[in-house]
Amino acid sequence: MTTFILRRILVAVPTLLLISVLVFGVIQLQPGGFLENMLEDPRVSRETVENIRRQYLLDQPVWAQYLHWLGGIVRGDFGFSFLNSRPVSELIWERMGWTVFLAALTILATWVIAIPLGIYTALNRYGPTSTALNFVGYFGLATPDFLVALLLIYLVLISGGTTVGGLFSPQYIDAPWSWAKFQDMLGHLWIPLIVIGLDGTATIMRQMRANLLDVLNQDYIRTARAKGLAERVVLWKHAVRNAINPLISLAGLQLPTLISSTIIASIVLSLPTIGPFLYDSLLNKDQYVVMALLMLSAVLLMVGNLLADILLAWVDPRIRYE
Amino acid sequence: MKKLLWLIAVSLAAGGLALAQPKTMPAYANLGVTAGKPGGSLTLSLASAPQTFFYYGAIDSAIQNLANQMFDGLIEYNLANYQIEPALATRWTITNSRVYTFDLRRDVRWHDGRPFTADDVVFTYTQIVANPEARGGDAANFDGVKIEKLGDFRVRFTLPKPAPAFIHYMRLPIMPKHKLLPFSQEGGKPRAEINTAWPTNVNPEEVVGTGPFRLRSYTPGQQVTLVKNPNYWKRDAAGNALPYLDQVQYLIITDSQARVAQFLAGNLGQINITGAEFPDLKRRETQGASFRVVQFRALFGSPPNLSFNYNAKNPELAALFKNSDFRRAMQFAVNRERIIEDVYNGLAERASYGVAPLSEWYYPEVARLQGRFDLNAANAALDKLGLPRGADGIRRLPSGRPLEFTLTYGSNSAVFTAIATILQNDFQRVGVKVNLQGILAANLLGTGRGADWEAILLALGDQPDPELRTPIWKPGGALYYWHQATQPTTPTGQPQFNNFLPWEREIYDLWERAASTTNFTQRKALYDRWQSIAAREAQVIMIAKEYAVGAVSNRYGNYIYSLGVIPGFNPLPLMFQR
Repeated sequence: MTTFILRRILVAVPTLLLISVLVFGVIQLQPGGFLENMLEDPRVSRETVENIRRQYLLDQPVWAQYLHWLGGIVRGDFGFSFLNSRPVSELIWERMGWTVFLAALTILATWVIAIPLGIYTALNRYGPTSTALNFVGYFGLATPDFLVALLLIYLVLISGGTTVGGLFSPQYIDAPWSWAKFQDMLGHLWIPLIVIGLDGTATIMRQMRANLLDVLNQDYIRTARAKGLAERVVLWKHAVRNAINPLISLAGLQLPTLISSTIIASIVLSLPTIGPFLYDSLLNKDQYVVMALLMLSAVLLMVGNLLADILLAWVDPRIRYE
Repeated sequence: MKKLLWLIAVSLAAGGLALAQPKTMPAYANLGVTAGKPGGSLTLSLASAPQTFFYYGAIDSAIQNLANQMFDGLIEYNLANYQIEPALATRWTITNSRVYTFDLRRDVRWHDGRPFTADDVVFTYTQIVANPEARGGDAANFDGVKIEKLGDFRVRFTLPKPAPAFIHYMRLPIMPKHKLLPFSQEGGKPRAEINTAWPTNVNPEEVVGTGPFRLRSYTPGQQVTLVKNPNYWKRDAAGNALPYLDQVQYLIITDSQARVAQFLAGNLGQINITGAEFPDLKRRETQGASFRVVQFRALFGSPPNLSFNYNAKNPELAALFKNSDFRRAMQFAVNRERIIEDVYNGLAERASYGVAPLSEWYYPEVARLQGRFDLNAANAALDKLGLPRGADGIRRLPSGRPLEFTLTYGSNSAVFTAIATILQNDFQRVGVKVNLQGILAANLLGTGRGADWEAILLALGDQPDPELRTPIWKPGGALYYWHQATQPTTPTGQPQFNNFLPWEREIYDLWERAASTTNFTQRKALYDRWQSIAAREAQVIMIAKEYAVGAVSNRYGNYIYSLGVIPGFNPLPLMFQR
């Protein structure tokens, strides 16, 4: 197992290098750039822009810029944000706390809710509750998250609520942690949890349902039942453990969505996460921020895949990486 | 003895006056301003997180909003009539529109208690505003301007040539020398270093201004909190200290619908809204919601216009677009009345070039010269241009190709999208096919300044003096994007006069003369003439100027609409919590 992990990490290095070339290339390919955008303001002269270009080494050949950027990353320096005149890593770090908190909570809630519901709907295929749950599932899949956000905001407003965005009421944002602040956060938190989590919950629920239905028709389940095993054992030990395998691989892919998937929902709900920050950087062509965030999501994807593989080996004794 | 006491009393009063020089605000009774009561807090919104806390370090609407509360300029605008009034300068003399001498207000203190003096003014203008590498500076307008200190409370600006609108630049916020010297060239740093002053993770104590509020804290991505400056130099008409509010918070809310929701939920005290959002909020107001929706005619703001690329890549289209008869024909097919009714819900009026209808510079004849919506007239004019209709109803160019062009607009703006669709429909009815191309509104100007467009909907800001908009409206200017062949080939070169159309040359000469004319009546006559030529030639087709609409909770009094980002126009110190 250790060899496997080591090998994966070694393979990750050239992969990341390749990704960094791609990321850098894509950013270079886009028309215009932050400095061109600056020229739109009549107060900015061509001279100013040329000076900034020199300052950030943007006047050098593309390969030199790339090496400079890569060298920085190796030393832990992700470059400078044009927009904020601050190091990129500081800016990302500022927003990391809430992003990880929200994403972890959402992923947790998604799994805790979706797996049992998937099992339930598979076992009671034609019951009224299953039909209702399936409907909610389809609704969650079919409705864009920002629309769900707007619907929820509307519902809160007509019921006289005030928790229509952000994670806190204005008076608590700067306040030190207290019981009241925690309660205020809980009052706000459910909306982002539903908005960000609904889509994932529906996907996992539908997937779990399909997998389980598939497994339940297998011969070994019939055999288990024929042996006279208790239905509880048949279900949890034989069926669910086999049905959940594909979902674990799926979970690995969920990690990079920490950054990218919640952009629009975060904007509509004014959440202090990386999403709106990435969006701003993309609009303003703040290239080092964009490249750092793209690299980060590539790293997260690889870490997520590795974790999923390890988890898979642990859950399913048949899988061996040798 | 009595006489002596009297003498002491008089000299004390005189001494006190000389020391403290508060400014008493006009009563503004016509704006509904009354005496407020101190205390309370107000929550406003910012559309994006601030990029810096240094006004000149970025071109960023968030810091422009905040800087209005934290800093002051030498002059400011009257809130009712936009006339220039004293701010950090108490009075000034202007000689030949070339030498501007300012007497500064005494006993003004920075938020950290240090006195404000002429050194700060000279530092701000020489080291920051005139610094070509300060991203939010204005070096172009201060090129060759000599700035001198004439004593602790007097400064003089000597211009290389007369510039009658120069006084408007004196509303730029003055920065504290004692805090920013270490980032400046005078402090031994490269010029670009000034942009790194006061980043968003700065200690709030460092960010000191002279304004009504000072920075208390910033929570990244969520909120900026400002608190009252107890030593502010303004008084209300009754002599009470301003500002009234103890605290102003700004929630960072990117999405406009989320902003409205936060306002309806009572988490925001005031928001600026658009005509599109007006009916819903007004209905709630009449149904007894505890807020008011108020509309003002504003001097500032950006009316959209339709421009054609005189240098379009397709030579046939370029020839047509350059022809005033064609643009006038298209202008007949622009249904301004419908746009004002349907898109702005009636909350807009006809627009002129670069100056608001409210402005003293506005030339009322423009509306008549722009004409009315008249499809028959448009058809007749297009027929006369030799553009016959084909079998499909679309007109044919001389080459036989159909007359169609791309109209670029901002697809993330409800207003631009609706206007573009109305134009497309009406142009179709006169046999002109329009293909819509939506791009991000933020990229419109960038696209317009490039070569790759045929027609574009763009909004350019109105200013209190036309001269402030020279780069846009003077042919050959840096932002004269619809006829780029007139622009100089080098940044400092002369415009390419050989590419000027005759009427463009006429406008150019009017602007040249206006820039060195000091007499108001004469300047007004020149700019009137310019507006009439621009309208007559349909230089670009101005669409409409939106009214300023804001909604304010009934908890607050003395609300006056403010765009928020205009230096020198700040009604917030007068607002109070009931």
